[in-house]
Amino acid sequence: MEFEAVIGLEIHIELNCATKMFCDCPNRPGDEPNLNTCPTCLWLPGAMPRLSEQALEKAALLCLGLGAELQPRSAFDQKVYYYPDLPKGYQLSQAHLPLSRGGGLDIIDENGAAKRMRIHHIHMEEDVAKLVHEMEGRVPVSLVDFNRAGTPLVEIVTEPDLRTPYEAMEFLKALRTQVRSVGSSECNLENGTMRADANISIRPRGTTQMSTKVEVKNMNSIRHVGDAIAYEISRQTAAVQAGEAVLLHTRLWDPDKKVTLPMRAKFEGPCVPDPCVPVLELSEEWIETMRARLPEMPSVKAGRFSRRYGLTDDEALSLIADPEVARYFEVVAEEGVAPRTVMHWLITQLVPAVKERRQELAGSRVTPARFAALLRMLAKDEINASAAREVLVSMFDSNEAPEAIVGVRGFEQISDLDALDALIDKVIGEQPGAVADFRGGEEKALGFLVGRVMRASGGKANPKVIRGLLADRLGEAKP
Amino acid sequence: MDPIFFHRNPETATGHGHAAVQGHATGHGHAPDDGRLRGLKVAVQPGVAVKGWPTDAGSHALAGYVSLEDATVVQRLRGAGAYLCGSIHAAEFGFGLAGGRTGEAVRQAFADIELVLDSIGESRVAAARAGVCGLKPSYGLVSRFGLIGLIPSMECCAVLSRSLDDIRETLRIITGQDGLDFSLPDEEAPDFSSMAIDPGKITIGVIDEAQDALPATEGEEFRASLEALRRRGFTLQEMSLPDFSLFSLVHRIVGSVEASSAAGRYDSVRYGPRAPGAKNWNEMYLLSRAAAFGPFVKSYLIQGAFFQFERYGAFEDACRIRARLVREMRRLTSQVDFLAFPGIDGGAAGVPSGGMAGVPSGGASGDTAAGVPAKGGPGSPGEAPSAPRYGAQASLRGVYAEFASTLFANVTGQPVLYLPSSPGGGRAGIQLTGPRLADGRLLALGESLLETDRKGD
Ligand SMILES: [Zn+2]
Repeated sequence: MEFEAVIGLEIHIELNCATKMFCDCPNRPGDEPNLNTCPTCLWLPGAMPRLSEQALEKAALLCLGLGAELQPRSAFDQKVYYYPDLPKGYQLSQAHLPLSRGGGLDIIDENGAAKRMRIHHIHMEEDVAKLVHEMEGRVPVSLVDFNRAGTPLVEIVTEPDLRTPYEAMEFLKALRTQVRSVGSSECNLENGTMRADANISIRPRGTTQMSTKVEVKNMNSIRHVGDAIAYEISRQTAAVQAGEAVLLHTRLWDPDKKVTLPMRAKFEGPCVPDPCVPVLELSEEWIETMRARLPEMPSVKAGRFSRRYGLTDDEALSLIADPEVARYFEVVAEEGVAPRTVMHWLITQLVPAVKERRQELAGSRVTPARFAALLRMLAKDEINASAAREVLVSMFDSNEAPEAIVGVRGFEQISDLDALDALIDKVIGEQPGAVADFRGGEEKALGFLVGRVMRASGGKANPKVIRGLLADRLGEAKP
Repeated sequence: MDPIFFHRNPETATGHGHAAVQGHATGHGHAPDDGRLRGLKVAVQPGVAVKGWPTDAGSHALAGYVSLEDATVVQRLRGAGAYLCGSIHAAEFGFGLAGGRTGEAVRQAFADIELVLDSIGESRVAAARAGVCGLKPSYGLVSRFGLIGLIPSMECCAVLSRSLDDIRETLRIITGQDGLDFSLPDEEAPDFSSMAIDPGKITIGVIDEAQDALPATEGEEFRASLEALRRRGFTLQEMSLPDFSLFSLVHRIVGSVEASSAAGRYDSVRYGPRAPGAKNWNEMYLLSRAAAFGPFVKSYLIQGAFFQFERYGAFEDACRIRARLVREMRRLTSQVDFLAFPGIDGGAAGVPSGGMAGVPSGGASGDTAAGVPAKGGPGSPGEAPSAPRYGAQASLRGVYAEFASTLFANVTGQPVLYLPSSPGGGRAGIQLTGPRLADGRLLALGESLLETDRKGD
């Protein structure tokens, strides 16, 4: 029998708000432990939660960006359980009346077909504290860092529309792009600003059977999500084929061993309405104000990029995945540099160079104006590609105009034809074999000769010009 | 141990006033006040946060806990020039009065007003025992920031005083929007200006089912009070609320579930006593929480946890019935000007129920200064109470029976004024209520009744 998987995802996303969700503490979980705490997020007696307006706005923008319908009425519940990372015995979460319902994302499956992946609902909730287990001498101690307690999260719960690990990975990529472009979160599995849990069950292909599902947690990259789901599908398939029952439980992905392992079930407490956070009533007017604040959505932007800049769909998609890269591209392209050149140099040179230096594109010394100046010199054949790469490196270390760097470092291309002719004569004299090969019809030999002339010029010659000159010279002499 | 005060303000009233008059900050660095409540002496409960004061809410769970900031009510009273004289012994989390001395500070005139957390009717029962007035405001009118209670959707900061005028002035100061409590609804504050009451134009409703539940003697007292109202020219109207008996059940289920959640924070992780000897944190929780609460509160929390974890459907039903009761009460209050409810049997006045019964009242200096004569009350001043500080004995059944005629207003959130019996005995203690935000009108009605009390029927 052939099986297919039914996969749903539950994704937690940390909103990039300035403060925590119910108090004014900075939303910086990584600071020195317990630095960002106050009577409210430590839940001292008498504390009252004060829902952050920015958290609500960022959550609402995220919902709208995913095509979800904001609910006119939503409310917080108390998810009751007892654990030292939960400072008041319950977590404030919109369990019964979520912020939005519906929505979804389009992905391309492994067969190239477009598929709509639906979202069931999106709700807001607060994060819990972080537990640190250490040894004090020989005594094991558990320490609690409340910096993360109360940081604003949304949880996105999908419909079980996903069928393969590939689709799950594509969904997460599309989600990441979409959420980044609305500006609500960094959305990184690697640093925990996004956390994805997968619910997986299998059934005979072609049936609508509802099977027992297993929840898998602890995947720290999109790749791990794919691997964990693939592992779990084969594990469940093997179990069913061996006549074993799949039991409802939770498993943890072990990225080193590349297996999922059962974890002790976490106690899921009841959810009772919270009497302290007011019910959220969102007016049509407010929702429209939020909608007006939505930036251009990736699918719309991709379409515009391919039309306006003559890029292929893939090229456009590679640019818009990071809204900052897309913005940078547009500024440079509007400076009159050929869009495809901008795209190529941005993606293959500048972005990796910025990352290597642990900088942000926006704050880098290589401003769009300087980058455009560099690419213009390249387009005018004033420098060649290898020189441009070296100039780019220098641009990170000084604020000088690229033209000045080129002048000082002597990167100008040799375009003086007499000087080039002399070099070509020299190479032709040294390489009679290659010359004969070319004349005998071996086109590859020309490339070799161009390389020789380049080397003789110390890299300063323009390869296009040399190729033309060489071809002319050798052609003339052809019998 | 001080028989009434759990903590007395180390700053004297005169010192405070002196600094305020000169416009200087006082010893604690408070800003100069605006003088509207200058000279008013305020007693609070240990569940009201006062910066730097021990604030244990009467519970071992918070033994030794000192507040880091003022509750909004405290900050506003200070800002108006009131003097905080101290916090008085109260029941654990103020719930149910057992073991506390609520009402004694105003009865004995140590204070002009007492702030009382009213979760099931504490302010009204305490007022009845002390023979003073008590107003439980509309839910959501007073900020709950800095108040330590158990039932967030039902508790409200109430005001006890011998004088309705002091209650009115206090409410003017403590009510209204607060940037620290977002749960207050965005609505207009009630009109607290005094207004004339013409009995001939006023209809007071009486709910039959509320009377039916009364013991015979109290029923008679209540009927006599109603007769007194009729004699003064008010029109009385009988009304029916067939589900009246469900108030108690709804309060008990919803209240205990909320309490179970609200007390979840007392886990000994961040504050509060931590029981020794635990091998892991599960044990630490169990041992610390077992030691944290007195038997009465513990039984309430366990009941709440039972409904939360084992009978969630019953909790949902109770929430639905609560919404229906609120609608029903809104319908009744819209048909008349006010509603009258039985007062509370003040026969045991001054004798707290439970563990501290027999605790004598001390410092009788103010006994006779009261504007409203105190009813009963134990004597022999000066003896220290011998009962343990925490964990008064009381039964859930007993407390719910005791508060049967007050808890309706905690379920609905409507305002209630308790008026003590008239000096001549013509009218017994009575609860007067109205629709949400009728607080100001209730005070006007109360003043008019006290006025005719003074003149005699
Ligand atoms: Zn905080």
